[in-house]
Amino acid sequence: MATVTNWIDHLSAKEVVGAVYPGAGSSETLLVIIGIVLWIGWHVLTNRSESEELSRLARKKRGANDYKSNVADW
Amino acid sequence: MTDQLGALTTIFTEFYYWVTVVLMFLIHVGFCMYEVGASRYKHHQHTLMKNTMLIPLVTVTWFFFGWWIYWAFPTGPGIAPSIMNESAALITDESTFSAKWYAPNTEFMAVNLGDHISGVFWAAFLLFSWTAASIVSGAIIERITTFAFGILAIAIGSVFWTIDAAWGWHFDGWMLKILGYHDAYASGVIHAIAGGFALGVLVVLGPRIGKFSSSGEPRNIGPRNPWLVTVGLFLIYTGFWGFYAACNIPIFDLGPEYGMEGVTYWTATNIYVTPTTLSGITFNFLMSLSGGLLAGYWIAKGDPFWTYSSGLAGVICASAGNDLYHPIQAMIIGMIGVVIAYKLHYWVERKFKIDDAVGAVAVHGYAGFVGLVICGFVLNGYPSSGYSVGAMWDGSTYASINPLGQFLGAIIMFGVLGMLPGYIIAKVLSGMGKLRIPREVEIAGLDYEMMESAKEDEKAVSSATR
Repeated sequence: MATVTNWIDHLSAKEVVGAVYPGAGSSETLLVIIGIVLWIGWHVLTNRSESEELSRLARKKRGANDYKSNVADW
Repeated sequence: MTDQLGALTTIFTEFYYWVTVVLMFLIHVGFCMYEVGASRYKHHQHTLMKNTMLIPLVTVTWFFFGWWIYWAFPTGPGIAPSIMNESAALITDESTFSAKWYAPNTEFMAVNLGDHISGVFWAAFLLFSWTAASIVSGAIIERITTFAFGILAIAIGSVFWTIDAAWGWHFDGWMLKILGYHDAYASGVIHAIAGGFALGVLVVLGPRIGKFSSSGEPRNIGPRNPWLVTVGLFLIYTGFWGFYAACNIPIFDLGPEYGMEGVTYWTATNIYVTPTTLSGITFNFLMSLSGGLLAGYWIAKGDPFWTYSSGLAGVICASAGNDLYHPIQAMIIGMIGVVIAYKLHYWVERKFKIDDAVGAVAVHGYAGFVGLVICGFVLNGYPSSGYSVGAMWDGSTYASINPLGQFLGAIIMFGVLGMLPGYIIAKVLSGMGKLRIPREVEIAGLDYEMMESAKEDEKAVSSATR
């Protein structure tokens, strides 16, 4: 996976290759696909948990000042 | 980099943008403080997290497609040909500034020893994106779902503002050529579009419960923590120094750039690659801030919230032309912008029952819009670019700055790319039942469950003696 294994060889080459991250030139598209899946997946998961939280709280029908009873220590 | 002068110039530029990014982080710190200070106690934590989570959402989408859009869309596409390849299509060819190099799977979007600029320039623009999304965030607190806000933040932060930047901020943008559009420090490109977008969302979202009486009279839901709000605004001022610096190119030789044979002219330039100085814009930043504060204190009768916001509105209104104004012009323009934004805020609130919780539409949207229009008159006749000078509607050369072009530009920023998409996306989210939190939750407070679950622990701690 290592793109560079010897800096002296790398920097003294006739043309220095700029991209030095692991998997340069072969892994970028796969990384982007993984990144997009993680991004979309995050929306799906957090949307689900937010919807559950909101409907649970909505069912309790608390008053506008009820939250004050949850403030125990100032 | 093999010669020392070239290396110094490159690394100075790299470091310059890096510093602007660090400074601009303070804008977001300020926005978070300001929003939490403006919200009621029972909504604090959700308000904070809503604004915080736009950071990763806009960042990853800016990496995936936002940055690519900026480099691909200057021609419209199809509105005016590029000066680089003379085509009006999307710029995805092999030219130096093509979007091709900024797709997320290219070797320049990573550690690359041959490229010291892309990452810091990407980040400077990303911080503008956060600002655009954060402006929207403040207006809609206490009643929007975090899911809906995430979608809206991505839309304004990684899609619509970057289209407007390609059109009206890129050195090859069609709005410069056809309209003579000029907006050096983003009165329209960031502020008017974000304010317009927020207004479009607010129309669909509706006011907070209790904001209007049964007869339609607005009630003031003032900041719950004035200290947090005002210190937050101070931090936004501080971050704006980075914002202004990031809108410049710190050192550039305009002689060869403009094709002037034998001429060497090193200078700082604005985003359009026309000359200005960091010194000059420092005069104007501070004078427009002062104009805004003076006018705000007067019109709001010393109200701290509006006075601080007016300082920001003053800078925003003068920003379009702060690369060229005289400092006293900048001050007067800042004052005018504040008076108009303040009056419009209350007129719109009363007339259309719009509940803009932090005055974001006024401070950013109206002040930005007015700033663009004023710039058209004050800078009438200045070239919008150094590359050529032509007539309006010509398309192949660059039109001069003019009142009509700036007015049309303001409508494009605030209305076409701001309010309209905000309204449409909010409508879709509302149709899906995803836009607004349930009424019962708004009354109880978004943080109710969080606070309730911590109650027993808190009680135990508060009664503990050892």
